[in-house]
Amino acid sequence: MPTVEMVTKVWIAPGCIVCDACETTCPEVFHVQHENETCIIRPEALDVEFTKPLTKTIIEAAQECPVDVIKYEVAKFDVSDEVAAKIAGGATAAPAPATAGEAPAAAAHAATSTKAAPAKPAEPPKPKVMDPAIQALLAATTVRGGHVVIDRGVAGMPDSVKHLAKLSPDQLPPDGKFQRVLEKAKPSSEEPTRRDLLLGAGWTALAMGFGVGPLLAFNRFMAPNVLEQEDPKVRCGPLSKYTSLAPGDVNEDFKPVKPSGFWIIREEERISALSIICTHLGCIPSWLPNDRKFKCPCHGSGFKPNGTNFEGPAPRPLERFKIYLDGDQVIVDRSKKFLAMGPNDTAVWNDPDASIPV
Amino acid sequence: MMTTFAHILASVDPAQQGSAIDRIKSFVDALCAPYYFVPLTTLLLVIALVSYKQWTRPKAALLVFVAFTVFYGASMLDEDFFKIIKKPDNVPITMMIYFTGFCTWLGFRQAAVNDDRMKRGEPLIESGADDKVLVWPDLVYTELIALVLCTAFLVVWAILLKAPLEPPANPTNIPNPSKAPWYFLGLQELLVYFDPWIAGVLLPGLIIVGLIALPYIDKNPRGNGYYTLKERPLVISVFMFGFVIMWCVLIVLGTFLRGPNWNLFGPYETWDPHRPAALLNINVSDVFWVVLPEKLNVAWWKPGLPSEASFGIPAFLVREAPGIVLLGGYFFALPVFLAKTVFRKIYTQIGLIRYAVFWLLLSWMFIVPIKMVLRWLFNMKYFVAITEWFLNV
Ligand code: SF4
Ligand code: FES
Repeated sequence: MPTVEMVTKVWIAPGCIVCDACETTCPEVFHVQHENETCIIRPEALDVEFTKPLTKTIIEAAQECPVDVIKYEVAKFDVSDEVAAKIAGGATAAPAPATAGEAPAAAAHAATSTKAAPAKPAEPPKPKVMDPAIQALLAATTVRGGHVVIDRGVAGMPDSVKHLAKLSPDQLPPDGKFQRVLEKAKPSSEEPTRRDLLLGAGWTALAMGFGVGPLLAFNRFMAPNVLEQEDPKVRCGPLSKYTSLAPGDVNEDFKPVKPSGFWIIREEERISALSIICTHLGCIPSWLPNDRKFKCPCHGSGFKPNGTNFEGPAPRPLERFKIYLDGDQVIVDRSKKFLAMGPNDTAVWNDPDASIPV
Repeated sequence: MMTTFAHILASVDPAQQGSAIDRIKSFVDALCAPYYFVPLTTLLLVIALVSYKQWTRPKAALLVFVAFTVFYGASMLDEDFFKIIKKPDNVPITMMIYFTGFCTWLGFRQAAVNDDRMKRGEPLIESGADDKVLVWPDLVYTELIALVLCTAFLVVWAILLKAPLEPPANPTNIPNPSKAPWYFLGLQELLVYFDPWIAGVLLPGLIIVGLIALPYIDKNPRGNGYYTLKERPLVISVFMFGFVIMWCVLIVLGTFLRGPNWNLFGPYETWDPHRPAALLNINVSDVFWVVLPEKLNVAWWKPGLPSEASFGIPAFLVREAPGIVLLGGYFFALPVFLAKTVFRKIYTQIGLIRYAVFWLLLSWMFIVPIKMVLRWLFNMKYFVAITEWFLNV
């Protein structure tokens, strides 16, 4: 009796590019699932008796696979001369494997046994529906704790799959992609229970504790660490000091005042206090007396002497503080700001609190 | 040591160098105006991509290297340029320029060789390469040596060049220009064109998220694990544009060309804080509501920004409508159009969701150069400026 090497196990390593080559060569074993973007081994082909006679085409398919992800194991068997000849010739063995022979209703199965006859059948383009056997297997399969578990008692399972279901999951081939397909079946087969609900609530509470807490802490961390005890009101001296400014001039005396400095500016008819914070990203612009503009050193925003933005990215004019007279004394109150929304949108500056008329 | 070098350089009498040098300098200065600088570097990149088989040949690359080094070294004779270079903060920039150049060369060299071999049907450089390494002793020793060398290098660097620590912040004495650390200068440059939350949060976030998302958008296995340009010309070009131009070149621009008041200076120009530079920026809304009607001068369209709400739409929305239409077209209509025409193949390959993500990343990447060019050429400030909603794009 001659000894022949025959394929006992075939599986697909991760990395299939769904090229259809294997299914064209050996449709009995390989099933390309474009919708899942992988190729899988048909469940009935997970059986030694099924793959043995197909040895030649399986090896051919494995060699043809462009990314070499088809893996198989071979073992030596003693066979009769005629079987050996048949295997060498590539034809499907006459003694049909037990499982395949039993397979009754599954349509794909019927197709398989007829198609198996010629050495290399030219595949007609098939509609890509999921193999009913696979569907049944998926329906019976759940994944628990990373292990595949097959429910043995599901009714209406094709015999070929029944045979599989009797195997322990560990005996299934190490087909990484196949497991992924199995995992896909998980949500449909598990009803949420009260336990799941409680578990979910627990995890959520934990996540809140670990997530929201630090978030709040982070928020505090990002806030400037200053004590705002400075008096928002600043006494700026007699009014005459500012009426002597020419219109369009700027007094820089209060730029260093903490926590927020300001310029006192003279317009035609009034005196106002401009915040020194750039409305773009908060740098401090410099007053360029020769160019008659405020210019920010960070991204080049420019402001006219009255604070209107006209150059660079700053979206709004410089902000103005409340300013008023106490007798003869000019007082700037930084607790109230007047925000103009754009260079053409400066109506708030006409507020009586925003300037002192001169 | 640096200063003695500077003295030596200064002792070369600048007056003796004649006006030819000056003319070259002012020519380079002129080329470095951003509306030449960025397009020119982009052009260089395009040339490099097209002729990668030629310039990556070791001799040609060596020539480029020597030519650049001579140019860079000669530039140091210029006081203003040298002042920028020798700042301890800017030493990494010189390193970055050379490293970027070297890595680009290396990658494209491998690609050129591989593409050649592919054409002749020979195995690739990487084929047969066994990337397994023994952990002990090979890997651990290699890592140990690398670690020691790096530490030594950093120690020497730290001793030779003082860290640029500055006095405590003081509102009356602000560094002008105020520059971010060198590696953020590209982002700081973006801040000139966008609102802070876009340039400082959204765009960097998109860069990170985008790099993570790339492998899920582009599942083409070609070019996986081996160098090639011929098989993936478009993808590699777009990436190189994003990395080299929109990151490295912007850093170089921020380092060498941005001076006091964040004005633009040529690399050989003195940083004069009083140099006048008028940049009157206008929004799209100004163009549409004021400039256009003034130009057209027709009876039914009076220049003037809309200031009253109409049909219950607040005035600022009416005002910004042209910009909103433009941006909406760019972000939402253009992808639909492209999906039906140029990107039809891509669209069918990757499907709706991945296409949407793809367009999100691509559109934000390209709005940066678009806005820069518009700013330089037309002083365009914002497409949409709704300060009420912090929405300035
Ligand atoms: S031949 Fe290989 S890559 Fe192609 S479908 Fe089959 S397993 Fe996948
Ligand atoms: S912070 Fe002033 S221009 Fe950006």
